[in-house]
Amino acid sequence: MPWRSVALSVPLSGRDLRLDFFRGLALWFIFLDHIPQNALSWVTVRNYGFSDATEIFVFISGYTAVIAYSRMMTREGWLRAASRIYRRVWQLYVAHILLFVFFTAQIAYFSFARNTTELIEEMQLMGLGTNPYRAIVEAVLLKFRPANLDVLPLYIVLLAVFPVVLPVLLRRPLAVLAASLGLYGAALHFGWNLPGYPEDKVWFFNPMAWQAIFYTGAVLAVLAPKLTWFDRWRWPLAVLAVLYLLLAGLVALSWHDTALSELIPDWLSRQIYPIDKTNLDILRFVHFVALAWLVRLAVPPDAAFLKWRFLTPIRRCGEHSLQIFCLGTFLSLTAEIVVAYFDDSIGSQVAVSVAGIAIMSLVAYGAAWFKGKPARREP
Amino acid sequence: MKFGTFVAALVVAVVAPSVTSFAGPDCRASRELLDLGHPLTVAREAVAKDHELRIVAMGSSSTQGYGTTSPQFAYPAQLKLHLEKAMPGVSVHVINKGIGGQDAEEMTERMKSDVQPAHAQLVIWQVGTNSAIRHTPLDLFSRKLRAGIDIGRSLGAEFILMNLQYVPAVVALPDEQDYAHVMAQVAKEKGAGLFNRLSIMKAWYNDGMPYSQFVYNDGLHLNDFGQKCIGKLLSQAILRTVKPSQLTGDPKAGN
Repeated sequence: MPWRSVALSVPLSGRDLRLDFFRGLALWFIFLDHIPQNALSWVTVRNYGFSDATEIFVFISGYTAVIAYSRMMTREGWLRAASRIYRRVWQLYVAHILLFVFFTAQIAYFSFARNTTELIEEMQLMGLGTNPYRAIVEAVLLKFRPANLDVLPLYIVLLAVFPVVLPVLLRRPLAVLAASLGLYGAALHFGWNLPGYPEDKVWFFNPMAWQAIFYTGAVLAVLAPKLTWFDRWRWPLAVLAVLYLLLAGLVALSWHDTALSELIPDWLSRQIYPIDKTNLDILRFVHFVALAWLVRLAVPPDAAFLKWRFLTPIRRCGEHSLQIFCLGTFLSLTAEIVVAYFDDSIGSQVAVSVAGIAIMSLVAYGAAWFKGKPARREP
Repeated sequence: MKFGTFVAALVVAVVAPSVTSFAGPDCRASRELLDLGHPLTVAREAVAKDHELRIVAMGSSSTQGYGTTSPQFAYPAQLKLHLEKAMPGVSVHVINKGIGGQDAEEMTERMKSDVQPAHAQLVIWQVGTNSAIRHTPLDLFSRKLRAGIDIGRSLGAEFILMNLQYVPAVVALPDEQDYAHVMAQVAKEKGAGLFNRLSIMKAWYNDGMPYSQFVYNDGLHLNDFGQKCIGKLLSQAILRTVKPSQLTGDPKAGN
């Protein structure tokens, strides 16, 4: 097969700890950010620029998809790799549906247990109340996704298309990147998105826009050995990245301070706003790329801190990303309910945040122990 | 040991700056800003006679609730919550007809099909922001507003126009006040109420409330606090004219 020679350039040796670490960190951030008005979400990236943990998660998913399946394809053929990818898609789908059931059951449980009309109301408003049977059908079709259950459906769609792209990706990565960016531009220009439920809703994470960051990750994984080519501009690029991050940081901080927001001139605001999350605003995209470039310079694969013992929980969570993502989403709802209906204070926000992360880490350690060795990396 | 110190340092570093902001901003508006400029006679009669109030929330994404963490925080759901609390025994229906991205023209087109089956006495029409962002010509905007109000009127509904939101994406426009002005003019001429969201939110900002308190981080939509507060203030504005005097102060009355 002609792609064999190319695919060998994909790094095969050792596990890149950075992927586990930053994916784990993204999972922690997503958990913290999903708790409304959480004081602890001050630590997460979204407060200091345009992009947030979602970009990190989707980028690493694209990157690890190449690492996990490119070797399989070159050794065992496309069909085998494609079936493995679809096995993974099925796992993701099962996880999502299970999460959907537990998520809605948790709301229902608290509504009944506490007789909280707000929670019952919430279920009604989500679309479960008016026609629950219809809602179940729409959930199975991934069209009905209650709040915070948007990320896995995006990932399922992205990975479901991946087998078709994989052969081309390994032979002509730059062509794939061009096509991906082309689709991104077209989706933005023509307003394409997938339909949702209730009617008139669309996907919160537009797959046709967000695929751009997935394939940026995938293409960079294929080109990883050749990335040194960029190093001739290492410092100019770093300076540009830093300047952009500073500007983004200034804008993000201006949301927290009226005096600072007066400093942003109208002509600049007109260029910046709105910073659309649904369609992966170009400002978010560039912000993530700038961040990734600086991380590449600052954190080599053998960076010492990646092995620090007190940071291992983050890596463990990153190794078992699917389980931990689902658990985190479920727990963020628990945390929200505890804070909103039992004790609305900074103390309880910190307590549920720390408790949630502790549970996520414990389960990740449990999963690692259960497997007996570091998890095989699946995207 | 090391880990414990790390966590402690983290907690202090994080909680310290946010304690100040947690004291919680006030959801407020001056009395003049809550004056709808309309007696809402149809709605008042429905409440007094039938103990019922049927509202259609017509609008775009900020009616739909984009930017909130849960649809229950979107202003229509909050409006229902507060109206029910203030008028026990009155059955309040708020039907959310917000569709993201639409402006006056698209909403006028669906005014009949959305208002008629709801048998609404009151239509709250949140509009203007998308028109301003898309630079819809002012005269076209004005025409569509009038046409939309006429359609709703012919179905027996009164109107409250809710104007633009005060957020970075809108403030940066050169002519957002022109759109607000057209809405005030149309409301006056057509005998509709006006909920001056732009001025209410601008007053928050001028009082020192940072955008992060009430705006989603896309710089355009309202977040949980912003939506909840708008819902609460709108309910106060409506109650001022609609709430029958015998209901005031006695939660059991009206049953």
